[in-house]
Amino acid sequence: MERVIIIRYSEIFLKGKNKGFFERAFEKNLQRAIQEIDCELIKQSGRYLVQHFDESETDNLIEKLEKVFGVHTLSLAYETSSDMDSIFEAAKLFCHSTGTFKVEGHRGDKKYPLTSIEISRELGAMLLEYHKGGIKVDVHNPSFTIRVDIREHGRALVFGDFIEGANGMPVGTAGKGLLLLSGGIDSPVAGHMMAKRGMNVECLHFHSYPYTNMQAKEKVVDLANILSQYTCGTKLYTISVTHIQEAIHEKCKPELMITLLRRFMYRIAERHALRIGAQCLITGESLGQVASQTIEGMTSSNSVVEKLPVLRPLVGFDKNEIIERSVKMGAYETSILPFEDCCTVFLPDFPAIRPNLETIKREEAKLDVEGLIEEAFSSIEKIEI
Amino acid sequence: MIYLDNAATTKPSKKAFDRACEYVTEKFYNPSALYKEGYAVQSELKKARSALLSKVADELSFELIFTSCGTESDNQAIFSFAKRGNAVTTEGEHSAVLSPFGELKNRAIAESRYAPLLSDGRVDVEKLLSLVDEKTSFVSVMHVNNEIGAINDINAIAKAVKQKNSRVIFHSDGVQAYGKIPFKLSKDVDLYSVSAHKIGGLKGVGALVKRKSLTLPAYILGGGQESNRRSGTENTFGIKQFEYAAEEKFAGLKENYEKITEYREKLWSLLDKDIYLRLSSENGSPYILSVSAVGLRGEILQRMADDNGLIIATGSACSSNAKMRYSRIVLACGYKENVADGVLRLSFSPENTENEVEKAAEILNTIGRELKNRMK
Repeated sequence: MERVIIIRYSEIFLKGKNKGFFERAFEKNLQRAIQEIDCELIKQSGRYLVQHFDESETDNLIEKLEKVFGVHTLSLAYETSSDMDSIFEAAKLFCHSTGTFKVEGHRGDKKYPLTSIEISRELGAMLLEYHKGGIKVDVHNPSFTIRVDIREHGRALVFGDFIEGANGMPVGTAGKGLLLLSGGIDSPVAGHMMAKRGMNVECLHFHSYPYTNMQAKEKVVDLANILSQYTCGTKLYTISVTHIQEAIHEKCKPELMITLLRRFMYRIAERHALRIGAQCLITGESLGQVASQTIEGMTSSNSVVEKLPVLRPLVGFDKNEIIERSVKMGAYETSILPFEDCCTVFLPDFPAIRPNLETIKREEAKLDVEGLIEEAFSSIEKIEI
Repeated sequence: MIYLDNAATTKPSKKAFDRACEYVTEKFYNPSALYKEGYAVQSELKKARSALLSKVADELSFELIFTSCGTESDNQAIFSFAKRGNAVTTEGEHSAVLSPFGELKNRAIAESRYAPLLSDGRVDVEKLLSLVDEKTSFVSVMHVNNEIGAINDINAIAKAVKQKNSRVIFHSDGVQAYGKIPFKLSKDVDLYSVSAHKIGGLKGVGALVKRKSLTLPAYILGGGQESNRRSGTENTFGIKQFEYAAEEKFAGLKENYEKITEYREKLWSLLDKDIYLRLSSENGSPYILSVSAVGLRGEILQRMADDNGLIIATGSACSSNAKMRYSRIVLACGYKENVADGVLRLSFSPENTENEVEKAAEILNTIGRELKNRMK
């Protein structure tokens, strides 16, 4: 009897002729997630098994596998020989001593002498005897379920509950996007959502050192690390917008600081995205959340992005919904650390809420846009996560 | 790199480190062990205890308990003796005192009272005394303020407090004073916290000096070390290194004091007065010169200084949260927020050189002008 983990995958089945492509990406991601643990991943029809691992690594393995997009459910299982005595020994490990239960038998090997119903009935009887008086059968609403899957070559898998996986599509099957990663709550969630649909996500962070501090940058590295658990690794690029902020501060209307700065950020992001082969920009904007995230604000930012779409997966979410997802992905505690990624020194007391594109362009004309962008690129740093 | 953040920590004394190394390589025995090798280490600890204590207090009246740091010493003093009625401290204390005082209130152990500061950072003694009444069980007044360098005359304050209520236990956080300010404890002071790493010792070593006749309850239970008050195998290497580092500092106490006073005044004389406002008074500890680049952010200047080869501290933090952003102590001295936002703390050690002081002034003037220009 050996402890194994069953991995079932989800939507990949729907992909017809492309199935091989999705499966290869999925398998690669699974391998990557568990590469630090001594174990073996094998493919069976319609599922994967992790085997040959030390029992103490079980929780660790499940925690890592839960985060891999494309995983529908996981089960901790025992693989045994398919005789009923061995199955019973394994089933005992999942059987509570009180409560109601049912057994779900499934016969993958049609040559097995018992039918699915007979397997369920026989194992149920053995367990009832084992916990005599403590447990009862309830096939409609059991408090726990024991599942048996008879495989070929005289082997069987015995398991209990299903653990919900991350679902979605395997990362690497839906192109590449460049995430504008701030130090806040929203952008890691936006990256997570796009990765869930199979997108490779790389990150770009803007800082304004020395107006912002080293801790703020460290925090973004930490967030990229958290995100990378879902995105099967990522790259983080950082670019300084200090001189851009200073130039805007010096020459333009203060209430347009954020609007103008964002236009610079989007321009830089698009150029960088094209350089690294990303096919879209991803932002954590949510409509109306702050002054710069009004539809007018988005229009102003969008109008400088010429070739790529800007994806805003959180656009219709309430803050609470975003926080909920941030907590779930494990980023929230880091996101709320009090290091500001955008310095408040230059922030106007009253930012323009509905910036007019003509005014923006007039103000922008006072700046050497190209020169400032080129200079910003000279500060680029790349961090492998 | 010019290091002017010696109030945060000092570079450990290499000489003291080398001397103490034998407690790692050869005399590594457990000082509580009964064989002669262990006993020999115990004797060495005794010597260290006596040497460190005698620098600041009369050995007949006081004793010294080794701890892991100044913060532990403060916590220990407060939670052991602030047990009823009210406890009084100042608005200028380090968080190692303020946080436990907050906890006294949270746990409903004692009422916490805070005496305001004068504009030079010393406690307003009159107001402090007005907070002391017959129900006061504990008073804590720091010796040298860690941000401004203001020196409180703790012997006199302790005396006045005891005249008002003789049962009060008086504690002082001496972390920024020990080994820097010529001083001896009077018998009115019951407890005094010190730390090794502020004077060339290592992080992880501190001590609580206490009046002998005061009974201190055990607060870490275990093998009964430190006369059963603070169990745990002693950090023999750290303690011996502390002893040797203190020996060096106390040997040069007066000359250092004079030299550092010159440094402080020289630095101030070289700083651009259009940018910097002096917060530390001439009567304060020479080891700390606190200035404010009024209207600018200390935190940004600190990073610019760092990039230019000068390490300093700031009292402000880049935060929209006012509580975190402004130097609490500077606000408590009565300065406005634009002053509290621009605080820089320049703190010296005898290892600094005059040349470094001149260079530091040059850097501070350059970056101050540059930032002022950028923020126009």
